[in-house]
Parts: sequence; C-alpha cells; structure tokens
Amino acid sequence: MKIVFTPDWFLGIDVFIEIFSFIILSLFFYYSIKSYKLSRNRNSLLLGGAFLLIALAELATIFTKLVLYYDASFTQSIGQAVVTYKVVQSVDVFYYIGFFFHKLLTLIGLYAIYRIPLKRRLSGDIILVLAFLVIAALFSQGFYYLFHVSALLLLILIINNYYSIYKENKSDNTKMLIIAFIMLALSQILFIISNIGILYAVAQIVQLVSYLTLLILIIRIVKHGKKKKSNRHNIRYVRNNTRK
Amino acid sequence: MLGIIQENKGRIKPTHLMYKANLSHSQMKLYLQELLENKLIEKATEEEKIIIVITKKGRDFFTQYSQMKEFESTFGI
Repeated sequence: MKIVFTPDWFLGIDVFIEIFSFIILSLFFYYSIKSYKLSRNRNSLLLGGAFLLIALAELATIFTKLVLYYDASFTQSIGQAVVTYKVVQSVDVFYYIGFFFHKLLTLIGLYAIYRIPLKRRLSGDIILVLAFLVIAALFSQGFYYLFHVSALLLLILIINNYYSIYKENKSDNTKMLIIAFIMLALSQILFIISNIGILYAVAQIVQLVSYLTLLILIIRIVKHGKKKKSNRHNIRYVRNNTRK
Repeated sequence: MLGIIQENKGRIKPTHLMYKANLSHSQMKLYLQELLENKLIEKATEEEKIIIVITKKGRDFFTQYSQMKEFESTFGI
C-alpha cells in the first residue's frame, strides 16, 4: 500500500507541473553548458551539472508518478490521501527507487547550487555532506517531511548566498532568482504540512510559480544578449590580459 | 570591440574604434587580426577610407557572449 498526498482532483496536474519544471531546469542546464563553452568557467559547468541533477530528479518523479497513477491496479480515495493498491511487486520496487532518486538528486543538486558561488574549494567534508544527503533521502521514504526539511535548509542557504551576491551586483536578474528560490522554499514549507491534502496542491502551484519566475529570468537573459548595447567587456579583457 | 562596432550601427573607422576601446595601436592591431581571422569582422572601403564592419557571425557571437555574461553575472559565477 502506498500513500501519495496528491488530492484526487489534482492527479495528473501535478505531473504536468513537474514536466514544466523539468523543461525549465533543462533550459538552465543548456544555458550553463553554452556559457561554459564560451567562457570555460568551471563554475558554469558545475551549475549546469546541478541543474541537470534536479532535472533528472524531476524526471524520476514524473515516471514514478505516471506508473503510480496510470499503471496501478486500482486507485481509491480515502479522506485527503489517495491510497493506491498494487498487484505487481516489481512496481513496488520501481516506486521506492523512483522517489528515492528524486529526493537524492534534488538534494545533491541543491547542495551543488549552494556550494558553487562560495570561494572555498571543495574539501573532504563533501563526503560527509553527501552521506547525510543519502541518509536524508533514504529516511524520507518513511518520514516524508525529512526530505522537505533538508531541501528547505539548503534553499535557505542558497537564498542567503544569492542575497550576498545581490548586495554586490544589484542585478534585477539576481533579485528575480532570489524570489524564485524564496518561492521554492515556501513550497517546501507547504510540502512539510502537505498531509492536509489541499496544501499539497497549493505547494505544487507555488512551485509552478517559482519555475515560471525562472522562465521569465531565462527570457530576460536571452533578450539581454539580443540588445545591441555593449557592456565594454573588451576593456575589462584588455585590462586583465595586457599587463602581465 | 565587437560591442563597440555593434553599437556604432555595425561599422566604424579604425581610429574611432581604437579610442572608444581605449586601446593602443599595437593592441588594436593584434585584436583586429584575431577578429578578422575568425571572420567576426571584415574590412571594407567607404569613400576611399578603410572601415571595420561586423559580420553576421560577429553579431551572433556578440549576442551569445552577452547572454553568457548576463547568465554568469546573475549567478555570481
């Protein structure tokens, strides 16, 4: 017996939200790699890797939910939760593995996003952190809120990082990025209390708004490139490269 | 340099470019050579004077470069 907090009327809509999230995350991955190819900035590559991990996490949950919703023997609604009974044992295993990878990849991806802007190089403590993330993902199978609490903590750290960056660059795009992460954090708070059925749907909608903000951010970045205004990067380039 | 040419409606006199880019003559010669080799700009003649014109490849490259800079600045990387 499996319990998913998706309200009956929201089944399927949540999958569409996750498909949308997957597309946005893939776009960020694409632009990170494109940026890396031009600048050879290692951080762009790492950022791309982080977005790819979270995109794969979304993909894992999309496939798992599709199997859960449409391949189950029958689905029955009890109270706020949807209880799905399965006949085939292999689907059981698929369900656990799918959600485990969703949680693990999301947490690792968020941790990577948190670490990238930090000046400190990676040290041995990364093994310790990864071990904790695996434990959090594993135990989340029993205590669903453990994953959301871990994600929330990582998001708070990310917001704090980007706030420091915003104080330096005063960029509207960074501000928009912070807003998107704040909404993602808010969705995690709602997911923590999502055993009250309707809140699960609200959390998903907040997550959708967050990814819509990220979509607007991508459009802004792409549009900026198409503006015919120079940023005088050549002057900075000359300053950095001529007096060696 | 590409940005400056682009700002100037895609064509500029070499001396104007040198002043606007705040480069010495030797530096500008070096960079122009690289841009010419990569077909990002081309030389043309206008009223018997040499002018530098940005190519389509140059415009595309500048667009991608600006997007990359904006992306990196957004994420503080």
